[in-house]
Amino acid sequence: MSDSPRFNTREAVDFVIVGSGSAGGIIAKELSTAGFDVVVLEQGPYRKAAEFTHDEVDVIFNDSLLGGGPKVSGQTFRDDASKVAQEPFRTPAEYAQTVGGSSVHFTANFWRLRESDFKEKSVWGAIEGTNFADWPITYDELEPYYTKVDWEIGVSGAPGPFDSYRSKPFPMPPMEINSSGVLMEKAAKSLGLHAQVEPLAILTRAHNGRTPCIKCGYCMFFGCEVGAKSSTLASMIPLAEASGHCEIRPECAVFRLETGANGKISEVLYYDPDGNEQSQKAKAVIVCANGAETSRLLLLSDNPRHPDGLSNSSGFVGRNLMFNSHAASSGLFEHQLNEYKGVQVTRVIHDFYEADPGRGFYGGGGIDARAFLSATPVLHAITSLPAGTPRWGAQFKDTIGRSMTRTMSLATGSTSLAQDSNNITLDPTHTDQWGRPAIRVTYKDHPDDLAMATFLQDRSMELLEAAGAEQSWRWPVNPQTGGNHLLGTCRMGNDPGTSVVDRYHRSHEIKNLFICDGSSMVTSGRGQPTMTIMALAFRAAEHIGKAAAAGDI
Amino acid sequence: MHNDDNSRRDFLRGGVALAGGSMLRFTVPGIAALAQAACSAKDESKAFAILTSSEAREFEAIAARILPTTATPGAREAGVIWFFDQTFGTFNAGNLQFARSGLADFQAAVDGSTLFSDLDETTQDAHLKTQDQTPFFNMIWFMTLTGFFGMSKYGGNRNDIGWKLLDVDPTQHAYQSPFGYYDAEYMKEHASE
Repeated sequence: MSDSPRFNTREAVDFVIVGSGSAGGIIAKELSTAGFDVVVLEQGPYRKAAEFTHDEVDVIFNDSLLGGGPKVSGQTFRDDASKVAQEPFRTPAEYAQTVGGSSVHFTANFWRLRESDFKEKSVWGAIEGTNFADWPITYDELEPYYTKVDWEIGVSGAPGPFDSYRSKPFPMPPMEINSSGVLMEKAAKSLGLHAQVEPLAILTRAHNGRTPCIKCGYCMFFGCEVGAKSSTLASMIPLAEASGHCEIRPECAVFRLETGANGKISEVLYYDPDGNEQSQKAKAVIVCANGAETSRLLLLSDNPRHPDGLSNSSGFVGRNLMFNSHAASSGLFEHQLNEYKGVQVTRVIHDFYEADPGRGFYGGGGIDARAFLSATPVLHAITSLPAGTPRWGAQFKDTIGRSMTRTMSLATGSTSLAQDSNNITLDPTHTDQWGRPAIRVTYKDHPDDLAMATFLQDRSMELLEAAGAEQSWRWPVNPQTGGNHLLGTCRMGNDPGTSVVDRYHRSHEIKNLFICDGSSMVTSGRGQPTMTIMALAFRAAEHIGKAAAAGDI
Repeated sequence: MHNDDNSRRDFLRGGVALAGGSMLRFTVPGIAALAQAACSAKDESKAFAILTSSEAREFEAIAARILPTTATPGAREAGVIWFFDQTFGTFNAGNLQFARSGLADFQAAVDGSTLFSDLDETTQDAHLKTQDQTPFFNMIWFMTLTGFFGMSKYGGNRNDIGWKLLDVDPTQHAYQSPFGYYDAEYMKEHASE
């Protein structure tokens, strides 16, 4: 922090970056260490590792890392555009509000996409009623940046039998196998499947001056108290600040990008920590606010030249929202697994990754073994008991007591199809705590997405039986009413008529506007998008830096 | 930019939503109750900041049927009622009025003028079975579990009673492999190869 500069808001800095998460943190580091002056505007507070706790009441039920929950955000949800969106129980578009963004509280499962992900439409064919499309880039083009993530962010793991090629090995060995990993291996082997090491954005040994994981068990939903989880807070922000060219401004909520007479973005308007309007002049702006916030900001920044929002001539800003599909099943075992210790996942099955016409629907995904909601005491008690458990009384209490250390869950992550009808728009009546029109989420899973999730859950139940579960049960696969993978809403593409940014994340319409986060993704991948968001960010930063150096902004 | 009123409401809404998202469960008749332990609500009634002693006695009586005292301590010994009192005075204040009116309705459904806390446990359980699908019960259920298993700084989980039931200790921040039975066995097998 001591080297961090304070830039004058009235003098244009080289870049303003909106959001400090998986993409924003990386781009801030890359551009600032290259010598560009960067201001990062982050609406959440600047928490440090030592401030993260194991307090479930605070983190999970009071949504402290999420900025306070749905009543504060004003977010609304509907499953069909013909309906009036309602205030939901849980935030429909969920993301952390803190320096480092959702890379702070994510579980750190870290899959690369495969070659097939980038050209799947060409292989599978068009899917009627969707915007299923190929990416404008290939795995070959992104692979060097995946490797850059491995080494700069810090990823532990080991290659699996179905992985796409990697140009360099993992920088550190995988996490030790835990009991759910052992049971997964046993079950997979008996069914002719392949349990492979789960790559994790968690350090297993000291790396780039950071300490390794202490196996505390509080990865999912919580911030890492030792910085072993490879958030941008732990890995990138300190380097950006040490460059002397990056200022992080926390608790600053951007509400508008102002366009000048030359058609370029001239300044970024935001509310400071006291709620006062401020403006930062900028030569260029990079929006990395996540698939929901990025879309909202572009829609909020409409002007006579861009009546439907910035960079939205195609109408694709906010469209094609993809949450990934999910299903879960659980099993109770004779002996203690103690999954509350260590990381969530050590083994995953990718035998069903590729789409298979033989299934009768499009889709693919993975199945991992994990503690899931039995990692922490309150969540276990209220959400994770075996089917048929009484809801109160002595047997209820005894079951809670016996099951937390003996439960394993199989969580599936799979494809979501891009659809016009799944989108982010501005709610006409609700506002957030800053007074900005609230994010309105409209979403209904495609039938193929639900079919794939159900298919994977069926396989999960077979795995639980093969693993020797005393009892196993499944959670209903229902249409999702929210998500924390916020993908596809400002997709990249070569055609300005069907995409928002080009293959280098530059707006098709505004030369000094760049967008890079989950919104850039053309397809959803199979369920763990953060690795790809980070690789895209390294790649985008390289091209943006080159363009700036060449005066092409 | 924190809105206290809103986050108070969120506390309960979020929890109920999480519980509602879990797998379907079927309520079966409760197990016969064992003898009640000492009533902390009576013992420490003067210390309540928000609840009256009579309110506390009733809330605690309900919590004690949700997580009863058996061979191991229950909601009463864990001081769950102190979680109620403390959080009704802080982030859960937005739910206090709902809890009070719910309690009045709950009591009205008890036969005659008898208080729920004065019923024997078998009768308490029979009454609870007629009430355990109400929003009021859902709230008390959620608060009981959160108070029992959450951090003791919120007033409940005294002496880590909740965590001892689970055989976990969230205050321990570092572990080493092997973590459980199956990975320990795995390590033994692979060590001998």
